[in-house]
Amino acid sequence: MCKLMVTGIYMNYHSKLGETSALHNISFSIDDGEFVSLVGPSGCGKSTLLNIIAHLIKPSYGDIYLDGKPLTDISPDIGYMFQNDELFDWLSVFDNIALGLKIQKKLDDKSREHINNLVKEYNLYGFINRKPRELSGGMRQRVALLRTLALDPKILLLDEPFSALDYQTRLKVNDDVSNIIKKERKTALMVTHDIAEAISMSDRVIILSNRPAEIKEEIKIDIDKNLTPLQRREDPGFRLYFNKIWKELNIYE
Amino acid sequence: MSKEQDEYIKRLKNRKMKIVIVRLVILFSIFILWEIAGDTKLIDPFLTSTPSRMWKSLVKIYTEGTLFRHIFITCYETIVGFISGTILGSLIAVILWWSDFLNKVLDPYLVVLNALPKVALAPIIIFWVGNGISAIIIIALLISIIVTIITVLNGFLDVDENKVKLIKTFGGKKLQILRYLIIPASLSTIISALKINVGLSWVGVIMGEFLVAKEGLGFLIIYGGQIAQLDLVMMSIIILSLIAFIMYQGVAYIQKKIFNWR
Repeated sequence: MCKLMVTGIYMNYHSKLGETSALHNISFSIDDGEFVSLVGPSGCGKSTLLNIIAHLIKPSYGDIYLDGKPLTDISPDIGYMFQNDELFDWLSVFDNIALGLKIQKKLDDKSREHINNLVKEYNLYGFINRKPRELSGGMRQRVALLRTLALDPKILLLDEPFSALDYQTRLKVNDDVSNIIKKERKTALMVTHDIAEAISMSDRVIILSNRPAEIKEEIKIDIDKNLTPLQRREDPGFRLYFNKIWKELNIYE
Repeated sequence: MSKEQDEYIKRLKNRKMKIVIVRLVILFSIFILWEIAGDTKLIDPFLTSTPSRMWKSLVKIYTEGTLFRHIFITCYETIVGFISGTILGSLIAVILWWSDFLNKVLDPYLVVLNALPKVALAPIIIFWVGNGISAIIIIALLISIIVTIITVLNGFLDVDENKVKLIKTFGGKKLQILRYLIIPASLSTIISALKINVGLSWVGVIMGEFLVAKEGLGFLIIYGGQIAQLDLVMMSIIILSLIAFIMYQGVAYIQKKIFNWR
């Protein structure tokens, strides 16, 4: 079943010097429960596309449908995860996770319970009264994900969510996040410039070209879904996918 | 505790102690040398006064019963000045943050007002609100408010754009961005502004008292000058330094309290 549908997105930027085209006729769709990655050369407009889907920016043309209904404003059904964890230093871990609910005035006993279950499930229970600065980078990113999940979104948009972490933490957090998203049965769209990360985490990889970005190719990743991202990196198919995507990206250098 | 740690703590304490002792030695030496130089007519005590003459003048005002009245008036004006300057300045900063258009429109006016020595407005203010405490407080307020607007607004605008975006993805509007992000994130900037304003407010108050007051430390200074009583002037300045120091420490203490609590 089709969860998210993106049709004919164009994005033009205007400045005094003129008009630049950033996105050119982008259309794709994501099925329910699918994990899709967007890869492309840096500066090609991947993050812009994610911002458009989240309705943080208006596209020049094009429409976005969630569960068949057109999106017209920022929707609570879309969860957004940033490059940095963007935790608020002055709030405890619990209050950080509850921030979205508080803003939407939905923080009640039931949602508190939901948060408590989430933090217990994902090993953060002992830290709910701590401040973010007392946590490691990996834990902070986990808190950021739970903050998004607390709102129970239908789809998660991940904007290079691991690029601020060091390599070892990153592999570990890949596993954590992938595990949490699978367990919570969320649909996800991730932007990344890390090919290995894209292959290890996704069911499908969409490759974008240089600016103005068009969809170059979509590659279905056929590696056992039950493996963790780290285990998937060991799969014999992994290298082949890697080389294929690498070549596609380099054509456009 | 290990012996090494023990020695480290001891060294630390020793150093701190030395610093305090040297500070006190400097302070007392100045006063003692001042006294001796004045008594031996090495310097003219009419022009420079001496600690003992200052003390006599202090006792004199104290017995007249007006000492605490003068101190109280000046402190009152200063505190009202810097607190209202900080609050009003922060409120105006919120308005300018809210409306980017207004911010752009008013920018050159703020620059001019910031560059203008506010004391130049004192004669106008005295005409408008009369010769008294309210004129002094307004002068103190004017001196601190513009700087507050500029620093606090810069603090607001420095808040990470991505965090603003985060609140937007939660469906938050401007009011929520202000309440949940901008104000808590800028609290330290606001407290720093408060600290700067303590100093600025003193300038405004003393200046104001020079111009209009019938009471207060600034009045004592100008009055002492007029009747050629340098003892009174020097004594007032020393009380002033002492109170200014205590007030600054008080604000620093509040700042520390707030951030420990956070």
